[in-house]
Order: sequence, then structure tokens, then C-alpha cells
Amino acid sequence: MNVLTLKNVSKTFGDFYAVNDLSFSIASGTMYGLLGPNGAGKTTTIRMIMDIIVPDQGEIEILGRRNSSFVRDRIGYLPEERGLYRKMRVGELLLFFSQTKGMKKADAREKIDFWLEHLDLSEWKDKKVEELSRGMQQKLQFITTVFHEPELIILDEPFTGLDPVNVNLLKEIMLELQKNGVTVILSTHLMDQVEKLCNSICLLHQGKKVLEGPLAHIKKQVGRNSIALAYEGTARFLRDARLINRFDNYGNYVEVHPAEGVDPQEILHRAVQEVTVSRFEIVEPSLNEIFIQTVQR
Amino acid sequence: MRKLFAIIQREYLTRVKTKGFVIGTLLMPVFIVFITIAPAAFMAMKSEEPRHIALVDLTKQVYDPLSETLDERTKTGERIYQLHLVAARSDRFEEVKNNLKADINQKKIDAYLIIHQDVFETNNVEYHSTNVSNFRENSEIERAISRVVTKLRLERSGFVPDEVNHLVQSVKLNTFKIGPGGKEQKDVGLSFAITYIMVFVLYLALILYGAMTMRSIVEDKNNRVIEVIISAVKPFHLMAGKILGIGAVGLTQFFIWAAVAGFLSLYSSNLVASFLPSAGDVPLPSVSLSQLIFFVLFFILGFFFYSTLYAGIGALVNSDQEAQQLQWPVISFLIVAFLLVFYTMSNPDSNLSILFSVLPMFSPILMFMRISVHTPPTAQVAAAVIILILSVWAMIWFVARIFRIGILMYGKRPNLPEVVKWVKHG
Repeated sequence: MNVLTLKNVSKTFGDFYAVNDLSFSIASGTMYGLLGPNGAGKTTTIRMIMDIIVPDQGEIEILGRRNSSFVRDRIGYLPEERGLYRKMRVGELLLFFSQTKGMKKADAREKIDFWLEHLDLSEWKDKKVEELSRGMQQKLQFITTVFHEPELIILDEPFTGLDPVNVNLLKEIMLELQKNGVTVILSTHLMDQVEKLCNSICLLHQGKKVLEGPLAHIKKQVGRNSIALAYEGTARFLRDARLINRFDNYGNYVEVHPAEGVDPQEILHRAVQEVTVSRFEIVEPSLNEIFIQTVQR
Repeated sequence: MRKLFAIIQREYLTRVKTKGFVIGTLLMPVFIVFITIAPAAFMAMKSEEPRHIALVDLTKQVYDPLSETLDERTKTGERIYQLHLVAARSDRFEEVKNNLKADINQKKIDAYLIIHQDVFETNNVEYHSTNVSNFRENSEIERAISRVVTKLRLERSGFVPDEVNHLVQSVKLNTFKIGPGGKEQKDVGLSFAITYIMVFVLYLALILYGAMTMRSIVEDKNNRVIEVIISAVKPFHLMAGKILGIGAVGLTQFFIWAAVAGFLSLYSSNLVASFLPSAGDVPLPSVSLSQLIFFVLFFILGFFFYSTLYAGIGALVNSDQEAQQLQWPVISFLIVAFLLVFYTMSNPDSNLSILFSVLPMFSPILMFMRISVHTPPTAQVAAAVIILILSVWAMIWFVARIFRIGILMYGKRPNLPEVVKWVKHG
């Protein structure tokens, strides 16, 4: 069953196409990556899904319903622009948000305690929000996204501002939710996070869909393998356009992209002739790589 | 409904629970009494410093009676105006004047008066001082000299001043207010004061609570909390919740004041009687029930009108500074209304008063004023209320369309054509 379906959705701001004829659908229980560089149309797409802005054209169907405001309470949304009432106490704030999500008070109190415990914030319940550190505020915001047990969770850049420990905590919870059958949409420009977490992706560029589908499938179809190469000496062969399309020097090693139809073995052969090779590894294309290739095409 | 109620509850509780609300509720009555009474009280305060005034009396008749008439005393019983007669002849007048100026510069005297020989014909007296803007002092001196000069004139013409005074005494106007039921009440100017205070409170409340709605929205925008909220609650409910919640704060404050005032008035007549037995027959001004009902009605309607307008401004701006710039048209409505209060009070039935008291931006203040000072035709009151209700409805429709888009806009402030477009397409 599809949790979310977009059909030919477009949105313009003046002459600018923020989202252009976008269609995709997300199956229940998927961790779905909505990708693209800044300004690709991710946030606009999400806002249309949340019925915060209305599309100019196209249809959006959520949990089998056309009117998304009707299913609002069954969605959890963490916007990119985060905000809390700083003067309120943590418990009061959560209770307020639970009411805006249509939860019953007794039920809400139980859920609030559970999640505060789960995210290690219990002792802060009676403190004012402004007394919390930024990381704790982020966790608090995350609670408001999930504590009403939504069927669909939309996270817009959830990892910004979090330290590695909390990033891991968040990832764990996301995977836990997914295991319980919740569908998660993760919108980010951090390709490596998506690569680790998501089953399926949709790649946006300048408001248009450029790639969509299961991640493994995309990697096989679109990506071309690259070579991680570490060496000592002067590598003139890297400038040979017949052999090598492009290379990125990362300091410790060089990522080498073979030219069309070139066998990596041929490159290894040349390399050994010119330099002392300490590492030669054929790597699957990173999502980042796929993105750059796709956009540049 | 639960969502709307959650917004209302939050707006209400976060405000009522603050120290600012408690202090405001306590201090507002003090503040209002202060600004209505203080200027007059300060004016009436007597100088405690004696003033040394040199008197050049070219008539040679004014000094004696004047020092008798100008007999204001300080609290310690000292004369405030200490007159010093300066002998002067007309031919050496300039020299005398220069000497007096030198005396003022050396602070030997504070001022000097010159009464010319022809004062009985020209009425002119010169008063030279370093400070000539003390109205109380000027008018006391003027009145005293006038009295003396008039008396001398009467005597010259062969009248007996005391008899003339008796004959030209002015009459005293006793005012009675006729209430709606035809009941008459002796009025000692206090009912005017009460009405004035109520109008002033209404005016302040509309400005303060209206602006509070605006600031609440700007705050949510700055906090970036707005997107979290409108992902759960319809923008219209957010706007309505803010307006209702803050309006309820205002009403709470009024009810506290009304309860305290009611409690005091129960006992105040006894209090006054025990302190001033003679004042027992002067009825204390009371606020009629209908006046209270209209006060609450016009506050609620006026508040909806202005706070909706303010909500629209709040949605359009990104900071308090920008809000300050954009709110001047709203404030100028209220200021015009307040400036027209005195005119309306004196001419409650003029065409201008009728016109302004039914226009929605002025009616909350001016129609309430008219109802308080005199009973306007029911049709006019009904017209004002109906027009106000319709305008509030139109305003909500209009602002809701701006609000929905405006609250998500950051950065550049939209210009007028853009706003018009939002309203058309919203």
C-alpha cells in the first residue's frame, strides 16, 4: 500500500518553478530519502504534503485521502526551521503541542513521559525550554514530531546542529520506528546519511525529479564504479584523458573515475609503471557521485 | 475545536501568569488616576519660595492696595509675593529700569512690575522677569492688579465698589444629568471624570492589546515556531486563537478592576460620609449597568477590529522594528478617535459626531463616549454596532488570506501589490 502519492505536482513562486511536474509514491514502511542540493524544491514539496502551501497543479494523496488536512494528525513533521516556545516549561510545551495534534490529555501525558525518558530528558520536564542546550532542544523538537504515534514521519534536515552521539540516537529511533511499520521521509542534502539509512530515494534538482527508485537499483543502473588509489610518486597518467575521465584528490587518497569503456585493470597497469601503489580499490559509486554525474549530464 | 482551544489557552495562560500582568493590573488604575489628576495637581502646587518683586508705581496709588490684595501665603505663612516699592520719576525712567535689570542679574530681586500713570485708560502693566511662563503666578498678579485698578476706577467715578461687586455677581450653573429612565441626578462633574477615565481605558486597551496580538505573531515568526504550529493547526485557527486568547486577557483585567471598583463603591459612601459629614447629600457618581455593558461590548468589538488589523501587520513583518513602522496607520485611527473625544463630548449630536461615531475604526471609542454623556437614538447605536460587526467580519476574511501566506514569509517585506495578489488568490 502506498502511504503517499504525488501526481504531477507543480508550484511556482512568480516566474520561478520551485517544484516542476513532480510525481512519486512511497510504499508503507519505507525509509525514503528526498534528496537534492539547497533550493532543489525539497522543502516546498514537504510543505505541500503538509498542506501548508497549496500546489498550483497536481494531486497529493496521503494515507488514501485527497484532503491532507484531514490526515494531519497522523503525520509527524519536523520542519527545517525549528522553533519552540522558549519561555514555556518542557512538560507544558509538550502538552500544548499534543493538544494541537488532537491528542487526549491523559494519553498525551503518558506519551510525554515515555519519550522524555526515552531521550534522556526526564529531569528537564519542569525546566524552561530556554535552559536546555541546543542539542536537548533538538531532541525535544523531535519528540513533538513522533509522540502522537504518526503513521508517516517527515524529517526535514533532522541532523543539522546535532553532535555525533545524538545523530546516532536519532538514527536508531528512526530505524526503530521503521521497524514498527512507520513510513519515514528523510529530506536532506547530506548524501552519505541517506546512503546509510534509506531504501528508496527521489533526487530533485531545480524543482525536477532526476532520479527515483530503490537505492540499490539506482546504484546499479546509474552509477559507474570509481577507484580509490593511494600512491607515492608523480602520477602523470591521471592527466591522460583517454584513460581517466576525472579525479578528486582527498589528500590520503585519490578518487579516480575511469573514462567510458576503460577497464580498471588497465589503469592499475599504468599506475604500477609510474608510481608506488599502496592502495587500489574498486568502489561502488557514492550517492554523492551519482548525484553529481546526474546533474552534470 | 480542541486545537483552537489549545492555542487560546496557551496565549491566555502564558500572559496571565507573568509578573507583567499582575503589575500592570495593579498599576494601571494608579497610572490613570495619576495622569488625569497629576497635571492639575502640579499646576495647583504653590511655590514655596518667596518671590521678590520690585514695583515701580508711577500712579502712586496702586502699591498699598496691591500689597493688601496680593496676599498669597506659603505653607509656613510667609508671603509669596514680597513687593518692594521703588521710587521713580518719569524723567529718570530708563535709568531706573537699568538698575532693576542689574538687580535681577545679581539676584537681588526676581522680577519687577511697572505700572504706568495711564494704566486707568490703557490697562497696560509691564511685568519683567527671567521666567514669564508660570501661568499661575502671572494670572495671580494680573488678577490682583485688575482688582485694585478696577476698584480705583470705580471710586474715581463715584461708585461704591462693594455695592458694584454685589450687583455684577455672576450666576452659578448647577448641572443635572437626565438618565435613560428620565431620572435626574445632580452632577458635580464627577460623572464626566468617570466617563473620561473609561474612554481612556478603552483607548489604551485597544492599542495595548491590539499591539500584543501583533507582537505575539512576530515572536512566533522569529522563534520559527510558526511552521511547527501550522503543520498541526490551520492558520486561521492560529490567528483566531491568538486574538481570542489575548482578548480574554484584556477582559480578565477589566473584570478584576470592575470587581475592585464595585467592592469599593459599596463602602465608599460610608467612608466619605464618615470623613466629610457635609458631603453626605452629594451622590457619588456611579457607573450604570448599561454603561458597563456597552464598555465591554465596544471593547470586544473594537478589540476584534484592531487586533485583526494588527494580526495582519504581524504576519507581514519580520521584526518589532518593522512592525513599529507599519503600525502607524492603525495607531493614527485610534489617535484621531481620541482627539475627537472632546469634540464629541461637547457636541454629541452634531453631524460630524454622528458620522464619526458609526465609522468602525472610531465607533468603539466615540459611540461609547456618546452613549456615556447622553443617550443617542437607538438607531444610531444599532447602526454603529452592526457596521462594526460587519467590518470585523470583513477584516477577518481579508486578514486571514494575508496571514496564511505572510506567516511563512521571511526576508523581504512584501509590497502592497503582492499583498493584494495574496488576497485575490488566497
